[in-house]
Amino acid sequence: MLMAWGTNLDEVGVTEPEASSSETPIDHLVRRAQGGDADAFGQILTRHYDLIYRTAYKWCGDQSDAEDVAQEVCAKLGSAIASYDGRAQFSSWLYRIVLNSVRDMQRARSRRNRHVDALAHVSPQQTAPDQEAFVTAGQLWDAVRGLPDNQRDAVLLVYAEELSHAAVAKILECREATVSWYVHEARKKLKGLL
Amino acid sequence: MSQDNDKDRLDALNKAAIPAPSTVARERALAAGAAAFAAAQNTKSEKNATASQGNSGGRRLRSIITSLKGISIMDIRIPVGAAAIALIVVPLGYQLYSSTALTPPQQQLTVDSGVREDLAPPSPAKSQLEEKDAIASAEPAPQPATAPAESVASGVVQLERKKADEMLADSEMVAPAPQVAMQSTNESMGFSDAVVATRSAPAALLGSVASPTVSSGDNFASFEESPVKLVSADPVSTFSIDVDTASYSYVRRMLDDGIVPPPDAVRIEEMLNYFPYDYAVPKSAEVPFTPSVGVYPTPWNAKTQIVQIGIKGYVPPAESKSAANLVFLIDTSGSMDAPDKLGLLKRSFGMLLDQLSGDDTVAIVTYAGSAGVALAPTPASEKSTILASLDRLSAGGGTAGADGIELAYQLAEEHKLSTGTNRVILATDGDFNIGISDPDELQDFIKTKRQSGISLSVLGFGRGNLDDATMQALAQNGNGNASYISNFKEARKVLVSEVGGTLQTIAQDVKIQVEFNPAVVSEYRLIGYETRALDREDFNNDAVDAGDIGAGHTVTALYEITPAGSGGLIDPLRYGNQTTPKADASDEIGFLKMRYKLPGEKISQLIEQKIAPNVVYETIDEAPTDMQFAASVAAFGQKLKDSSYGEMDWDAIKSLAQSGRGADPDGYRAEFVNLIGTASVLRPDVGHAK
Repeated sequence: MLMAWGTNLDEVGVTEPEASSSETPIDHLVRRAQGGDADAFGQILTRHYDLIYRTAYKWCGDQSDAEDVAQEVCAKLGSAIASYDGRAQFSSWLYRIVLNSVRDMQRARSRRNRHVDALAHVSPQQTAPDQEAFVTAGQLWDAVRGLPDNQRDAVLLVYAEELSHAAVAKILECREATVSWYVHEARKKLKGLL
Repeated sequence: MSQDNDKDRLDALNKAAIPAPSTVARERALAAGAAAFAAAQNTKSEKNATASQGNSGGRRLRSIITSLKGISIMDIRIPVGAAAIALIVVPLGYQLYSSTALTPPQQQLTVDSGVREDLAPPSPAKSQLEEKDAIASAEPAPQPATAPAESVASGVVQLERKKADEMLADSEMVAPAPQVAMQSTNESMGFSDAVVATRSAPAALLGSVASPTVSSGDNFASFEESPVKLVSADPVSTFSIDVDTASYSYVRRMLDDGIVPPPDAVRIEEMLNYFPYDYAVPKSAEVPFTPSVGVYPTPWNAKTQIVQIGIKGYVPPAESKSAANLVFLIDTSGSMDAPDKLGLLKRSFGMLLDQLSGDDTVAIVTYAGSAGVALAPTPASEKSTILASLDRLSAGGGTAGADGIELAYQLAEEHKLSTGTNRVILATDGDFNIGISDPDELQDFIKTKRQSGISLSVLGFGRGNLDDATMQALAQNGNGNASYISNFKEARKVLVSEVGGTLQTIAQDVKIQVEFNPAVVSEYRLIGYETRALDREDFNNDAVDAGDIGAGHTVTALYEITPAGSGGLIDPLRYGNQTTPKADASDEIGFLKMRYKLPGEKISQLIEQKIAPNVVYETIDEAPTDMQFAASVAAFGQKLKDSSYGEMDWDAIKSLAQSGRGADPDGYRAEFVNLIGTASVLRPDVGHAK
């Protein structure tokens, strides 16, 4: 079984979710936005909102959380865009912001959750209603979302976002081998959970 | 459940059914982005106006905004019992709050305030928003509700929602949200999973490089409980002492705020060592401590016993106290600008100065916010000069401080005392942007300085951003201790009652090694000290670093042992490998060895003591109060951590703690008893099916 997935590790090739040749290249937009062009910034947001939201959804598994994260990312971008220096691909850079925001939200949440749980004996085992149709898929998602942050990020970027290990390494700012290691560790964990 | 192999299963992840975002949310997000962008384009001066919130130069951003709007579904599902508990807890929480004389930590916002104003159509003025933030966790939300029970419950839920509410239309605020957030999933992503030390340190230190966000939560290095070990296979246990107490203060604050702390925040050895114990006091500085050992039945397991090893550091007479050269490295980032952070530090500093003499010098260096030497080394007797310079410190300047730590060490070096204490004391709420951004480099730097005789202690303030993992790592590398200062009382304990330990080290690199006798003990388990374990061979290796003990510090370690023949968790070996113990030692439980170096010396000294049957108490009631109390603290810690080794009812823990209170002159133990009560309400035994 280990060998079966091992073949996947070497695949390379970056999917660029925002690429579209008919539109102004993203780099131009970014440069204009960095120069203070609000229209350009608006275009960047419009173009990436779905990516941001969908990513957030995959990481959180809840629509309203994802919407919140997406909103926060948009707000962050307002000031952060100036600091984008073009060293990483824009999408990689954006992923990083989204992932950080998700993590921030979940940290804040995990601190407060127990508080809420103490007050309410409702044990909310709910998955979002839309996932209930996919019970097994839902379990997989839950299991993946329950992984340690690094492993979860690596697995979701590789499988849900279908990025190459090289691209994931750029986003997570680690070496490619580390990404493979995260995925490997995640598999070990998931074997127990699934 | 399916024949798919893992590969296919994971590939299924790309087929997520993702509901389309609502157009309202989309519009709102785009508007928020546009507003943030507009705000960012404004001049620096405007940014400075908001700097008191801590967003200096776009760093140290924190998220609160996203928050938890889904949770309010509970409004309609809360059972009567939970509502009743809510009725009890909320006033209790408020009472605890008001009695600590604290303003809760000010939460940081993610966007500039300008944005927030733009975003919140019906919002009150900015300052009100902040205030609401600050009191949110203490006060039920003001929304009226139909039933009292509901209003309390929703009030508590509202505090989780905070900012997001302000951004939503009124209708949304009142109506229960359609979905409950994924609590179960998120819970399993708690701190233990979320944070790994190797990652958390870089995340905190490299914030500005990596991305505009810095992780917002408190960080804890995760660790596993020490496992049960078979004496016949592994008879020797070795660890370094740890005099930190930060974990207990942190846990207490979380519980007082009505939150059950994450398991990794609970380090049992630090909880044990928070309390003073009445151990035998050594007579001279040459042998700076003597061990006190006792064995008594485990309160949570009838089959096992606890071996308690306690040591108390020598307290030199006042006239032989050596001079201290202290350099305070103070975080003045915006987030420190809170009454329970910089304010608390200022208020408690005077007390510290009273403990110092004219031979001692104090210097102040600031970093982040405003940077530089705020006070050149000044004799501690010039109290007014020192306090005045401290008053001039203000949090929230615009420039990021560079070289803070190097500057602090440089000052300490210039005024280094050859015979006294040279120490840098870092006071922060979690911003470790102190000039060296690479965490490894920073630790190396501190280690090198430690070898040249300058140690480092860390004082942690506030909650929400505290990077406990980094704090611990720095203090351990700097031969110092990490303390968490949650309120004035705690400041008094750390800076007055126990300052001797910080100012005067009496023994360095203290290691403990216990060898158990396989004829008497079949299994053992060290409680706590997980992060301080050493290899067996490290014990005699003087090059291996370990914890230091200051004047008057007490250190307590507990082993849970299974007497031979009473059946344990591990099956005995079929073929055995027992060696016959020395004839004259056949009834000993074990043998305790301790190594330490006197300050400044390179060669370690050895203290040995056998753990003989004459220290065994038949019942826990016969054991000294110190031992009863230590057992209750361990039980409390294990219960909070959901430990896999035995569990007691809250009531049983409480009565044990009560019977172990003893004289308790400072009231710390009484406070602990109250804390057990708080924890039992927050996580009742009944609902806690384990």
